[in-house]
Formats: sequence, C-alpha cells, structure tokens
Amino acid sequence: MAFNVLTRLNTAWALFQGLLLEALPFLLIGVLIASLARWFSPGGAWLRRLPAHPVAGPLTGAALGFALPACECGNVPVARRLLVGGAPVGTALGFLFAAPVLNPIVIASTWAAFPDQPWLLLARPLGAVLVALGLALLLRLLPEADLLRTDLLEERRLNQPLASVSLLERRAGVIGLSAEAPPTLPSLPAPTWREVLQHGSREFLNLALLLVAGCALASLVQALLPRQWLLAVGSAPTLSILALMLLSLVLSVCSSVDAFLALGFAAQVTPGALLAFLLLGPVIDIKLVGLLGMLFRGKGLLLTSAGAGVLVLLIGQWVNLWRL
Amino acid sequence: MRGVALALWAVVLLQSSVDGRLDLLLRAAFHPLVSAAGGVLLILAVAQVLAGLRSWGGEPDPASRQDRRLSAATAAIAALVIALPPNPSFADLASQRPADDTASETLTFVLPPAQRSLTDWVRMLRSQPDPRLFEGDPVRISGFVLPKPDGPPQLARLLVRCCLADATPVGLPVRWPAANPLPRADQWLAIEGRMEVEDRRLVVVPERIQPIPRPARPLEP
Repeated sequence: MAFNVLTRLNTAWALFQGLLLEALPFLLIGVLIASLARWFSPGGAWLRRLPAHPVAGPLTGAALGFALPACECGNVPVARRLLVGGAPVGTALGFLFAAPVLNPIVIASTWAAFPDQPWLLLARPLGAVLVALGLALLLRLLPEADLLRTDLLEERRLNQPLASVSLLERRAGVIGLSAEAPPTLPSLPAPTWREVLQHGSREFLNLALLLVAGCALASLVQALLPRQWLLAVGSAPTLSILALMLLSLVLSVCSSVDAFLALGFAAQVTPGALLAFLLLGPVIDIKLVGLLGMLFRGKGLLLTSAGAGVLVLLIGQWVNLWRL
Repeated sequence: MRGVALALWAVVLLQSSVDGRLDLLLRAAFHPLVSAAGGVLLILAVAQVLAGLRSWGGEPDPASRQDRRLSAATAAIAALVIALPPNPSFADLASQRPADDTASETLTFVLPPAQRSLTDWVRMLRSQPDPRLFEGDPVRISGFVLPKPDGPPQLARLLVRCCLADATPVGLPVRWPAANPLPRADQWLAIEGRMEVEDRRLVVVPERIQPIPRPARPLEP
C-alpha cells in the first residue's frame, strides 16, 4: 500500500488543520483568563505569611494555580512577582511548576482530548503536584543567592524582614537595632482596558505562532513517520517515555493545548509516555528556558531541567508498571 | 496590523464552521466551541482596530517592528489555512493508525439490519461475536475503500473521539465481485447486499455497488 508523497502531504495538511481548529478555542480561553488575571497583581504583607514549610509551602503554591489559572508563559511573571514580594521560595516554586497544570482550562482540554482515558484527569494534576514538590525540595539544596538572579534577589531583599536576611546579605539597616518589618510591596496600578487588550492580543498571536509550529510538527510526524518506527519506539516502556519527553521539549506549546498534540501518538505509545509528555512540557521546554531565565541563574536552571527530567521519567515508569 | 491578523484568525474559525470543514476534521461536540471562539476573536479584532485608529500618529512603540513581523507571520498562516481547504486521504490516514480493537462502546439499542450503518455493524459484531446469528441479514451501508496489506480491501469508516488526529478505522470485509477490478483506495461506495459467513467470519456480499461522493459528515463518533 504505497501512498504517494502528495497524498501524504494532503493528509498531513488536514491533520494540521484539525489540530489547530481544535486547539485554538482553548488557547483563546487561556489567554483571555490570563489577561484578566493581570488585574490581580499579588502584593502586600500576606505574601510573607505564606507557609515556608518545605512540603506545605509548595503545596500552597500549587493550590494558588486554581485561583489564578494561566498557562506556563503567563505564570512565570506572576511567580517572579511572588518572589519579589517576599513569598517563601518553596511556595513560589510550587506555584511556578504546578499551576500550569492545576487549572480548570488545562483539565478541561485534557478531558476533551482524552474522553476515553479518565485516569489521566487524576494522574496529570497529581503528577504535576509531585513534580513541583520534588523540584521545590531539590532546589532547596541551592542557597537563594545561587538559585535566583541577582536583580530579582535585590528586589526581594527589600521586601524581606531584616531578621531573615544574614548580615552579609543586608544592603541597609543598622546593626543592633531591632529589625522592623519593611514596607509592604505596593500593588501595581490596575492596567487599563486598552493595555489588557494590547497585551492579550499580542500574547494570543505569539502563542498561536508556537501552536502552528507545534501542530505542523505533530502532523508531519504522524503522517510521514513510518508506522513501524512509531510502534517500535512506542511499545518499549522506557524508550517511549524518553521519546515523548523529547517531543514535549521540542513542541513547546502551552499546557492548555498540549493534550491535543499528543492525540496522534496516544494510541501507539505506553500510558507512562503519554503522562510524561503531559507533565514535562509545562515545567520545561525550549520556550520556557528563556522565560525561566527571568528567575533563575544558570545553576538553578540546570538543576530544574535535570530534576524535572528525572522525576517525570520516574513517574512515567511507575505508571507503566501500573497500567501495562 | 494586529487587528488584521486577529480578524483573519476569526475568519478561519468562522468560515470552517460554515463551509463544512469542521464536519471533516472535528467531532461534532466541539463545533459550537470553534464558532464561539471565532466570534470572540472577531470582537477582539474590531476592538484592536478601533484602539489602533485612536492612537494613530501617536508615539511609536519601540517593540512595534517585531510586533508587526509577528502579526504578518500569523496573518499569512491564517490566509493559507483559509485558501487551502483540507483534502485528506482517509485510506492513507487509516493505514497509519492502529486498528480499533479496544473500543468499549456498547450498543444502546438494536436497529433492524437494513438500517444499521457500517459502524453499527462493527460494534454489533464486537458485542455478539457469533457470525452465524447474522447470516443472510440484509445490509445497506456506505464507507470508503480501505486497502488491507493482508487481503482484499475493506469498506471502512473513521471513528473520531476528538479530531482527525485520533481517528481509528473500523472496517467490514467485502466479497468483491470477481468480474470487476478491485475498487481504488479512498473511493466512497454505497453497498446493498447481505451478510454471509466465510471462514467463520462475516462478509458483506454486495448485490449493488454504487460510487458516491464523500458524505458531508464522513466521521462517526
């Protein structure tokens, strides 16, 4: 059964359009909510009262995802704001890594893509919380000064009580005086409708371009890659997980639509690989390396990438043991 | 420029909703969502154009050059999608997809044989695997010709849970008349005939085969 190249390309073009038309509405909803969330700029003393416990902190941060649904590109600036405002590092990291998955739109689009796999609706958020918790614990190994960018760290020091900053790290204050609480971070002025519109439509077009590239790659792989290859890779437990982790790094689409891009492969790969694809993309991919550079120094970024890779691989293996 | 790009994307979504493209690509449950998103995008595009007109001649945005490039690129892609409607080969797609052997849908009610669609027949056979129960039943089905590597072509349909990317083929074997050449891949056919048992499996024995154009709603849920 040989189909010529033109037929193949025609089929790939139809797959591309199918994926794009299916994903665009979810992308639009995601961008609209993230734009409206710009009115909610976290600030004030409550940030410093968030729990700093190594486990409860990240869990609280993850739960904030439900209050502030945004995909991963929208929540990096929010996480930065949390850190600047003096929130405990663990809490901010929990938010940064888990919120892109723990939100209603992402769960809805995952369900739309996989109505026949209800276990994913539980496994995806649960896995995201585990990854976020693991990464937050791992990044505790680095002192703040090695983890966070210098400019971010200096802004952060201004908002932390002097007592919690070591003498060497202080930039102001008099030794011997009782440490007073610093002034709270003022809330940013609410943006105007026009700013929200401008920002939102630019973000939509930016992400649509990424989505187009992702859909093109996914449909070309599906239509042109020989099926035997897909089957050979997809049915090997570890190899399939690694292959889909690589795919999620390259595709770099938003968490609100990434489930659709996995559709073409879902029937041919192990369940652990499918979950690994859905977990890794929101934490780290090509596009996020640039964005996370707004927060982390090189060492932190490296540890995040390596840690996320290992954690997702472990979760995928465990799911394969459970579901295969 | 940004308004134009948004408007073109709105046209992509709205036009697909009216010209039958969605019937070919997406499961019916998602069609209203696509139309609604098109409407919202159109409103955003109009707002964006109005905002642009009001600030005409104002101070130039430093990021505007990169911004214009982004808008132009996305607008070009949207125009391409509008200009080139999809024309997939179902047989090609089906050959790349795993056969549907895990579907657990159960029949809720049983239609008389002559009213069963191809998909109804496949589901029926899955829940009642004894072929002798259906021997001699009249058949009136339509589908596309799906070549098989290990035998004569089947008459098939694509089942879709979300969009074309997760289509799974279901097919029925057909005893093609020996006098005629085998039909070519992707040809849509309407077949009337009856069921017979051959090698302990059910085969459609056609009495009348008629080529038909691709139906408006080729996908089945």
